[in-house]
Amino acid sequence: MTLEMLVYAAFFYVFAFCAILLAICAVVTKRILRSAVYLMGVLLISAAFYVMLNAQFLAGVQVLVYVGGIVVLLVYAVMLTQTSQVLETLPSRIRNTLGFFVGVGFFCFSLWCIFNSDLTLITINSKNINLATQDIRAIGKKLLSTERGGYAVAFEVLSILLLVSVLGGIVLARKISPGETSPKETHVG
Amino acid sequence: MLASIFNSPYFYPSIYHWLVLSSALFSIGIYGFLTRKNAVGILISLELCLNSGALNFVVFDYFRGNHIDGKIMALFIIAVAAAEVVIAMAIFVGMFKHKKTIDVTEMNQMRN
Repeated sequence: MTLEMLVYAAFFYVFAFCAILLAICAVVTKRILRSAVYLMGVLLISAAFYVMLNAQFLAGVQVLVYVGGIVVLLVYAVMLTQTSQVLETLPSRIRNTLGFFVGVGFFCFSLWCIFNSDLTLITINSKNINLATQDIRAIGKKLLSTERGGYAVAFEVLSILLLVSVLGGIVLARKISPGETSPKETHVG
Repeated sequence: MLASIFNSPYFYPSIYHWLVLSSALFSIGIYGFLTRKNAVGILISLELCLNSGALNFVVFDYFRGNHIDGKIMALFIIAVAAAEVVIAMAIFVGMFKHKKTIDVTEMNQMRN
C-alpha cells in the first residue's frame, strides 16, 4: 500500500465517521436550528466525498445549491414558523422504538443485499483520473445532447419544474389569498 | 499489528465501504423521518435520504468506469431537492399561518 492510498483511506474513514456522527446529531437533537446546522455539516462532507470520487463539478454544485441554497431556505423556514417554545417535544416511546427498528432493519436489509449481490467492477487505476475541466465538459455535452444517451429532454423538463416550483412557492406563501383585494397593510412603497 | 491492518486488502475503501456508508446515512434519515414531529425536522431527514441517494449514484459511476450518467443523475437529484424544499417551505408557512404550529401530529383535520 502506497502512501497515497493510505492518505485516501484515512480521509475516507475520518469523513465517514464525521458524516455519520453529524447525521445522528441532526436527527436526534431537539433544537431544530441546530439540526439544520448539523445537516449543513453532512452536506459539506458529502461534497468532500464527491471530490474523492472524482466528481469535482458535482462537489461545487453541492456546495452552491445545497449548502448555499437549501440550508439557508431551511433556516428561513425555521425562523418563519417559530413559536414561543423553541424546543421540540420528544417523540413518544413507541414512536421512537418503531422508528429505531425500522431504521436498523432497513440498514441490515441493505447490508444483506450489498454483500449478497455480485458487483462486477472495473478496478480504478489512478493514472486514468480525468482532469476536472474534462469532467465538466463531458457533463455539459451529455446534459444537452439530443442523441441517444443524452439528457436534453430531462434537462428541459427540470427547468420547467424549477420555474413551476418557484411560482408555486410564491402563490402558496404570499400574504393575500387570490380572491381578496389588497388590504391596506400590505401596501408597499 | 497496525501494519497488518493497513496492509489488509479490506482496509482500502472499495465499493462495499462506500455503499455501507451511504446506506447508513439513509437509515439515519429514515429514523429521523419516522420520529420527528416538527415538519422542518422531517424535511431535514428527507434531505439526508436524498443526499445519500445522490452519493450512491456517484459511487456507482466511479466504480463502473467513470461514465458521466451517474453524475448527471446526482445533478438531477440536487435540482429536484431544491424544488421540493421551496414548495415544502411555502406549505409550512401556510400551515403555520392557519394553525400556529407545524407539529405534524396536530395535522389531523382530514381524519375520519
